[in-house]
Amino acid sequence: MKRRDFLKLAAATSLAGCSERLPWQAPPVSVHMPGMELGHRLRDRLPTPNPTRQRSVDVAILGSGVAGLFAGWRLAQAGYRDFCLLGGPEPLGNTAGSVLGGVPCPTGAHYLPLPSMESTHVREMLAEFGVLHGDPFALRPEYAERALVHAPDERLFINAAWQDGIVPQHGLGADDQAQIRRFFGEIARLREARGQDGRRAFVIPLALSSADPVFTALATETFVAWLNRQGFTAPPLRWYADYCCRDDYGAGIEQVSAWAGLHYFASRGGHAANAEDGAVLTWPDGLQPLAQGLRSRIGAARWIDGMALQVSEHKQGVDVLCFDAARNEAFTLHAKRVIVAMPLHVAAHAVANLADFGFDKARDLPASASWLVSNFLLNRFPQEADPHQPLAWDNVVYGGEGLGWVVATHQWIRQARPAQTVFTAYRALDHLPPQALRAWLVNAPPAELLALASSDLHAAYGNGFARQVQQVAITVRGHAMATPAPGFLARPGIAALCAADRRILFAHADLSGLSVFEEAAWWGEKAAGKILT
Amino acid sequence: MSSPSSTRRPDRLLILSVFIVASCGLAYELVAGALASYLLGDSVLQFSSIIGCYLFAMGVGSHLSKYVKDEDLLARFIDIELLVGLIGGASATVLFVIFAWMAGPFRSVLYALVFALGVLVGMEIPLVMRLLNERKTGFSEIVSRVLTFDYLGALFVSLLFPIVLAPHLGLARTAFLFGIANAGVALLAIRVFRSEIRQRRALTLRASIVLVLLVGGFAASERITQWSERGVFGDEIVHAETTPYQRLVVTKWKDDLRLYINGNLQFSSRDEHRYHEALVHPVLAALPGVKRVLVLGGGDGLAIREILKYPSVEEVTLVDLDPAMTRLFSSAAPLTALNRNAFKDHRVHIINADAGQWLETAGTAFDAIIIDLPDPNSYGLGKLYSEPFYRLVREHLAENGLMVVQSTSPYFAPHAYWCVVTTLEAAGFKTYPYHAYVPSFGEWGFVIADRTGRYQPPTHYALPMRWLDGTATRDMFRFPADMQRIEVEPNRLNSQALVRYFEEDWHRVIR
Repeated sequence: MKRRDFLKLAAATSLAGCSERLPWQAPPVSVHMPGMELGHRLRDRLPTPNPTRQRSVDVAILGSGVAGLFAGWRLAQAGYRDFCLLGGPEPLGNTAGSVLGGVPCPTGAHYLPLPSMESTHVREMLAEFGVLHGDPFALRPEYAERALVHAPDERLFINAAWQDGIVPQHGLGADDQAQIRRFFGEIARLREARGQDGRRAFVIPLALSSADPVFTALATETFVAWLNRQGFTAPPLRWYADYCCRDDYGAGIEQVSAWAGLHYFASRGGHAANAEDGAVLTWPDGLQPLAQGLRSRIGAARWIDGMALQVSEHKQGVDVLCFDAARNEAFTLHAKRVIVAMPLHVAAHAVANLADFGFDKARDLPASASWLVSNFLLNRFPQEADPHQPLAWDNVVYGGEGLGWVVATHQWIRQARPAQTVFTAYRALDHLPPQALRAWLVNAPPAELLALASSDLHAAYGNGFARQVQQVAITVRGHAMATPAPGFLARPGIAALCAADRRILFAHADLSGLSVFEEAAWWGEKAAGKILT
Repeated sequence: MSSPSSTRRPDRLLILSVFIVASCGLAYELVAGALASYLLGDSVLQFSSIIGCYLFAMGVGSHLSKYVKDEDLLARFIDIELLVGLIGGASATVLFVIFAWMAGPFRSVLYALVFALGVLVGMEIPLVMRLLNERKTGFSEIVSRVLTFDYLGALFVSLLFPIVLAPHLGLARTAFLFGIANAGVALLAIRVFRSEIRQRRALTLRASIVLVLLVGGFAASERITQWSERGVFGDEIVHAETTPYQRLVVTKWKDDLRLYINGNLQFSSRDEHRYHEALVHPVLAALPGVKRVLVLGGGDGLAIREILKYPSVEEVTLVDLDPAMTRLFSSAAPLTALNRNAFKDHRVHIINADAGQWLETAGTAFDAIIIDLPDPNSYGLGKLYSEPFYRLVREHLAENGLMVVQSTSPYFAPHAYWCVVTTLEAAGFKTYPYHAYVPSFGEWGFVIADRTGRYQPPTHYALPMRWLDGTATRDMFRFPADMQRIEVEPNRLNSQALVRYFEEDWHRVIR
């Protein structure tokens, strides 16, 4: 060691001493609860300043989640000029992302499956963004390789070892394996099944599915009841079905309806020319690049910061009382038409005459699930037990309380692993009833949230994992998504909102009853279509 | 009755043994610390962790010493001396052999050895004190004398080690020398206390065997070290370094310098001219007036040496991940002689960055791009042989520019080689595969790629070459019957086919 190097080392260690924590200290945790404070302000009708300005516009889109952004993109694409988009209390909704320690990472949804043949609206968007090449409606379009999940894509920690893929295989008995094969045989059959009306039984977008009672009857029972009836009793299979439901709906096989559970498996049949079936599209910061692509095409001039407090329909149009919390100002939008692109539990507070549409809060409002999306900034990649099963993009623990974690730097093209990375751990919270859970979340101690967030990581890497964590950023989404519980397909109030074609239009994944990108985009597409015709 | 001033001969021997024992104890600690610093780097960390482990183990040893029964004191002391001599004496050689043959357990063995030695050495002084105590020496006298000689021994070795022993004897022989001293103490004790020891014959036999082993080790250690180095690299190691990214080893045998990265041969100075002439000149000789050249990888500077032969070249940018690599090849004398001080040339810009990251942000276009990256043996490296990566490279290639990719052996790894060709074509390039015979590698493959499809291999070279000429070039671009193109998938990020092909191909070849 040269003298100069030694001095540098000494200086570096003495400086690092200030910021480094002691071995037994937990990493610093920041907790972010997007939309919570403002949402509760709306719910509790807290006083707001008097409006100081107003603006007239043909169309106002209220909310900047996927539905609102998609509607805005369609309007802009059609050359519609006079519209604006109100960002809302939770900009970009469930597609938001963040940057932690210089590493972009998701704070919401993190992937999009290869779009089905029926998801023409999503295919058109991907084609415009350069993610889908050639004919957007081809059976097997080519996708941008940087967006297709890179190998190795997923692995499962089961029976004390990692296996390739998430469907349990390692260490399973013959009967378990036979049940899993039979289950996928049944799914393959349902994927092609058609009702009396000629439509496929399970389609994304959900609205295009068959209305044949043979299938819709499945929406009246729980998924676990269906599994029992079919003799699917093998614990690994039931864990897998439960995991998939929790991963997509935030609720397990005991809560979601059989129709929703089967829809997850049977509706996603997208193919690619350059990837295997079941591949997904993903970006380092999850789906945020798609949201930003839509937002930039709508244009910054049309974006307005603030949230809708009161939406009042009258003969000439719609008045929207808005509140910009950052400036502590209220203002009024006078619009000819409005697209309410917010979750129904928020719309129920903001839209004064929701009952006029035939929507009954008590009857029609779906239950919703709470999520933690937790980003762990790591000083180095943790030691893997098995060099033959290296870190994958998605890493899941069999029987784990969480939903595993994705690696934010996985899609980077790098010769060597970066010095730092971010693991994004997902967890749907179901250890308390929804109401009690949300009451607890409002003031949840960061240390307890951290324990909930890191359970899978500790299960896979042991308690030593905490030592390589430099920082944790937890995003709490109290009302992350609607739960497609039994009865969710037969809510008259929701059907009425879907059909509404008045001065107020509705667009949100809640209209489908399940929160996926394609569904939200579908209702954005429909609302824009009503305005453009 | 004996007074402290009239110490008998046996007691004097015990005090002398304290001096030797203390010297040996410190010597093993220093040998282990020096060896770990030398092999692993970061000397502050190595020395402090080894000293800490050793001192702690001595404490454990002192504690354990109370379980030695009074009647066994002498016999156990002699056993411990023999054990310390054997373990300590062989420690440096054992560690060196382990390091040379297998990278994994080195640290575990190092700390296990240090701990074992510490425990044994920690037992020595308490046992000597008890021996003296049994001989009715006054307590204050025991403590004062034992500790005085203990610290004197430490001073003696701490001065002797860096000034005389390490430079003149080397670490392996120094360790054996102190091992012999330990065994000597044991033998002497057996002689002096022969009347008090019960199993004298057995102990003498044991001590003699240990002494013979240690003397043998001392004599043979040079040869063992050389053998262990050759076990891996065949030749003497002149530089070994573990960087955050890889392990670099440079070996030398007569005039043959070799570089190994993670144990894989990168070049031999005997025939690297074939590899680098084949890599560089078919591209640059076909680009009259070439000005700007980009090299990805190639931190040994040997490709740059060839590039700088073109007087028209104004700027060479080298992007290599590992600063230790470019530092080594811009400072170590035999290596800079090999690359003719390429990194000191004012036209050369060295950038230590990940090639994937650098290309995403760099904005310039190059007339020639030379991709000389390590073989695709990991998912990370596989990404730098993928279609999106080549599209990224394409954005940095001038309209009429040429690029060349080192692409493993078309003979030994045909699926991997043709996968690189197929991937370049999928990225929109026209390709010109070729191969050259490099004796230390065997048949090696390269691919030239351009956008225009107008590339023609040179028929002659204006610059003087050691090997390459028009005829050799014509042969390079011809693939005989046993190296014909095979149909393979392109290397996609979502399948990483190349990493799989590469592993399967080489698995078939290497026994």
